[in-house]
Amino acid sequence: MSVRRKGPKATAIRVATYVLLVCVAVVVVFPFAVAVTTAFKRNTDIFTYPPSLVPKKEATIPAADVGLEGDPVPVYSFPDRDDRPGQWALVDGDASLAEFRPLDDLERVIVLDVKAGEKTGETISIDGEEEDVYLVDDGGAQVEAYRSRLTSGGLFVSVDDPSTSVLDLVNFATPAREFGPRFSNFTEVLAEKDPETNGKGVGRSLTNTVLVTILVVLGQIITSILGGYAFARVQFKGRSTIFLMYLGSVMIPFVVLIIPLFQLMLQVNWRDNLVALIIPFAFTAYGTFLMRQFFLGIPAEIEEAALLDGASRSTILWKVMVPLARPAIATLATFGFLYAWNSFFWPLVIINSGNPDNAVLSLTLSTLGGRSSTDTNLVFAGTVLAMTPPILVFLFAQRYFVENSASSGLK
Amino acid sequence: MAAVTFNNISKRYKDGPKAVDDLNLEIADGEFMVLVGPSGCGKSTALRMIAGLEEISDGELRIGERVVNEVPPGDRDIAMVFQNYALYPHMTVRQNIGFALEVAKVRKDEINRRVEDAAEMLGLTEYLDRLPKALSGGQRQRVAMGRAIVRSPQVFLMDEPLSNLDAKLRVQMRSDIIQLQARLGTTMVYVTHDQVEAMTMGHRVAVMRKGVLQQVAPPQELYLRPANLFVAAFIGSPAMNLITADVTIEGDDVFVSFGGHRLRISAKALDRYPGLRERNGTKVIFGLRPEHFAMEEDLEVGDDQVLTVRCDLAEAMGAEVHIHAVVDVPPPAVDGAPIAAEDDPEALVAGTKVIARVDGIHTIAMGQDVRLAVKTHLTHFFDPASGAPLR
Ligand SMILES: Nc1ncnc2c1ncn2[C@@H]1O[C@H](COP(=O)(O)OP(=O)(O)OP(=O)(O)O)[C@@H](O)[C@H]1O
Ligand SMILES: [Mg+2]
Repeated sequence: MSVRRKGPKATAIRVATYVLLVCVAVVVVFPFAVAVTTAFKRNTDIFTYPPSLVPKKEATIPAADVGLEGDPVPVYSFPDRDDRPGQWALVDGDASLAEFRPLDDLERVIVLDVKAGEKTGETISIDGEEEDVYLVDDGGAQVEAYRSRLTSGGLFVSVDDPSTSVLDLVNFATPAREFGPRFSNFTEVLAEKDPETNGKGVGRSLTNTVLVTILVVLGQIITSILGGYAFARVQFKGRSTIFLMYLGSVMIPFVVLIIPLFQLMLQVNWRDNLVALIIPFAFTAYGTFLMRQFFLGIPAEIEEAALLDGASRSTILWKVMVPLARPAIATLATFGFLYAWNSFFWPLVIINSGNPDNAVLSLTLSTLGGRSSTDTNLVFAGTVLAMTPPILVFLFAQRYFVENSASSGLK
Repeated sequence: MAAVTFNNISKRYKDGPKAVDDLNLEIADGEFMVLVGPSGCGKSTALRMIAGLEEISDGELRIGERVVNEVPPGDRDIAMVFQNYALYPHMTVRQNIGFALEVAKVRKDEINRRVEDAAEMLGLTEYLDRLPKALSGGQRQRVAMGRAIVRSPQVFLMDEPLSNLDAKLRVQMRSDIIQLQARLGTTMVYVTHDQVEAMTMGHRVAVMRKGVLQQVAPPQELYLRPANLFVAAFIGSPAMNLITADVTIEGDDVFVSFGGHRLRISAKALDRYPGLRERNGTKVIFGLRPEHFAMEEDLEVGDDQVLTVRCDLAEAMGAEVHIHAVVDVPPPAVDGAPIAAEDDPEALVAGTKVIARVDGIHTIAMGQDVRLAVKTHLTHFFDPASGAPLR
């Protein structure tokens, strides 16, 4: 590590720098974090208020915990009579209930079992109607109340203490929520296209994209190595002219090439065919240039030494030059990968939109976002699937970007 | 092992004069031949032609009995050590040394055995599994040597292999290479521009200048009997003092005079350079090695063999003192040779610089007049126009 400035002023500057960098990092990372977490959410969970980055599901506990059999029991959260927050398992969603209102406070509602309370025999007139007066239990105290309504509600058992139970209206209670990523987002979005199973057919596109990308990258690496080596080290007539033309083709924007290329693909009958996504992109002038420059930078003596060791041109290329060119190849592969993986416009042009068999990821995702935008979670799951490989490739390749070992065999 | 023969070899690069001009040189089987000369004289080019890395424009090159002009480098059965070693950076020492054998499809266990033998010989055994970048300069140099010897080639070629090492290591490697070559008995062509390497390492030394071979001889002969002015000026450090002088013959005695000085030349020098007798009244180039001087008190000579000069600079080297002085006569032009005047443009104007090497016990002050006895029997004489010795 280099020598650092010291002193309070330098420290302040450094702290400020880090704070600024962290702020920028947060701003940059936030949308990414939203995309990733949304990919694990239930659709109902996406637009809740307050918004949350954590995917949640409605909480349940196993039925056995509350002395029942069968499906897990949903959990609700509301305060008990003493206003303490608590978690309640709904053991019976269809209990018959009665609502009582104490005579001294007609606004208050006491929900009890329909059979609860004893008639005192008295009656009272409420809004011009005669009602029986009951003596009901209100948290231990006996109060006089009248029965305002019969309804059905839920029988809740405390999660912490199954002997305590409470009757309440289910729709007044808020379901408890707990951490619960929904992994089936991914299986659904990958599954074959089918409205029944909610499958989106991304799996097929993913396979196509992987195939196309691997072949494009391999093609680019091989052609760039061969071309770059020839341009760097093999003497042949017209070498510099050809190289200049090759390099000049980098200047032509792709949009200009779309129509001629489309015509060409029609001629060779590759329309709506994955080959059209591979062959035209298996050559890259930029990659050839990159490899040529790298090969030029490798000292000629290393090659001459190999020549004296009896190695043929191809041995020299594959056993000496290519291993030395790993950083350049990693760079080339990364760019080729990103290009092929993300390419959208050309597939849109050449692949029939109605043909899910030949669609690639970028196409499928664009339709996924457009047509079934109700399945926001699935769109994001597809997005996450699409962006994971480039990130992995980048992480894997980045250590090669800075490394250049070609000169370390000298001196 | 094989001899290497240059028959009228020339090399002309596309745009430029001949880098090697009509070279005739026979390097015997098992000989240690050093190619030496100033920068750009074509040493590397000659070496690279043996290797097959440069095409031969003209002439015939043989390795052993075989004419190899059109033989590709890999088939010449030679090994080369480059100045920058040119190790394969991505291979371990073991793979570096074994690469040639691997290419030649030698069996695995055979490769291992030979690599380990070579490593043993060079003291590289413990580094076999390291990458070159984890080695010191001297170790890399050894790996480059290992790569050469593991193949037991017909000829070793080395292009300034020690120039990237520090002085101490260079001395060590120098003797290692001499011993290695003696032990293996392989023909060696060794390029250097280092005086000491040239003098100490080779059985014979070939001096080149501007692509033209000047002299091939054992080192001592090169020093004692230079074939021309260039070789005289080039070989030796500090270089031979070359002074333009007038010759006068009086009876049996021959005198040279320059810049107000006059020296009587001993008859022994005349035996070696009889041509001097015919130069009465003409100018010759008079060559004196620095060690041909001594302080007057150390050497008994006549008064007419003493040179009195003013000391411009005295370098005490311990065992000896180098006295720098100037004699008042224009310096001779020795094309391409590193004479003293070359790195000191003022000397060109002021006169010919002279360096005398005298015994270290003397303390000499700057500006002091010193009387130097001259061992005139050891002096050399050359024709000023052609540079040829007056033998
Ligand atoms: N590839 C080349 N193209 C053109 N000229 C060259 C080439 N290589 C060498 N030369 C020229 O040939 C001459 C001899 O070069 P060479 O490399 O043999 O010199 P050298 O004696 O090895 O010198 P040094 O001691 O500096 O290495 C030089 O004048 C050089 O400029
Ligand atoms: Mg050279």
